[in-house]
Amino acid sequence: MRASKIKTAVLAGAAALLALTPSSKAATGGDIIEIKGEVIDTWCYFSGVMGGTDAVVGTAHHTCALWCAAGGIPVGVRTEDGEVYMVLKYQGEEPLSQSDTIMEVQSDTITAKGKHFLRDGLNYIIVENVVANEGILNLNHEDFGAVPPFSAPKKPKK
Amino acid sequence: MLKATRSSVRAALVGAAFALALPASALAQDFSEGSNAKEWGLAGEEKAMFSGKVVDFLCELAGDCADNCGGGNRNLGILRAKDNKLIAVLKNRQPAFNGAAEDLLPYCNKDVDVDGVLIGDDEVVKAKFYMVQFIREAGQSEWKKTTLWTKQWAKKNPEFAKGKGPWFRRDPRVAKQIAATGNFGIGKEADEKFIKDNE
Repeated sequence: MRASKIKTAVLAGAAALLALTPSSKAATGGDIIEIKGEVIDTWCYFSGVMGGTDAVVGTAHHTCALWCAAGGIPVGVRTEDGEVYMVLKYQGEEPLSQSDTIMEVQSDTITAKGKHFLRDGLNYIIVENVVANEGILNLNHEDFGAVPPFSAPKKPKK
Repeated sequence: MLKATRSSVRAALVGAAFALALPASALAQDFSEGSNAKEWGLAGEEKAMFSGKVVDFLCELAGDCADNCGGGNRNLGILRAKDNKLIAVLKNRQPAFNGAAEDLLPYCNKDVDVDGVLIGDDEVVKAKFYMVQFIREAGQSEWKKTTLWTKQWAKKNPEFAKGKGPWFRRDPRVAKQIAATGNFGIGKEADEKFIKDNE
């Protein structure tokens, strides 16, 4: 009897907590923040399609990041603590516009100021100003080669 | 009586703590029923068919709304009907580095059904992302495969569309960057060294 009561109470506690947990968090933000991180290709980073997260950043993955950015896959900024901010706009430009701006910063480490939004566990940023661009700092092709291998530089045809 | 109450409260707290300790994935809903999505063997992959509304992130999050969801220049997502979650769509079904904006754009601000896979099991970023493989407007019976990206690229780049090889080998914006800073992005010398070291 006692065990049954405890079981019921445990279930009630869990149910109450789950009932209080919103199924979806409303967006918060619009505050200006400053972040520093590497501009990444979010598909390869989160899907693992090309390998682990260490391999799908930096020089090793630079060509693939260019392909993905040109292909309209959302670009993100990954900070040192592993958080990723999905870029909604970059210095006034919409990310899928056919300009070179977003292409030129792939794999670069940037310090950016912008409006921040958090929705359903995901961070988004409207990059308003790039305070600093340190270029590509992660020279991981020395460890991983090119990721994927078919993105490696090739000997020019004679 | 008091003893029993304390015990019950303690047990309820244990239950609440247990629920809090559950990983987000364990609390996530299962959307796999009826899905015909193809699995890719991706991180945290789950088949997922659901209904929702196609939205422009900038409009949804920041109130920065544009005609026709930005006309293909903005990333689009899906506001899932069942739980009001904003789903970030990263990919269409094409295996060639293609996003999903072109395939979602015809349904801007419309209710749709989608079928595809949710992915992601990152230790820090506790969110799932979506690869949309099929889409149809709500109320329609016929699904469309999400393969619009390469067709739209060919329209935007007619002078490069007729060449040999996949689009990403011919894309002028990609070619411009590689010509400037090499495949590794740090200069032609690094590319040349890599080629030499791997001969």
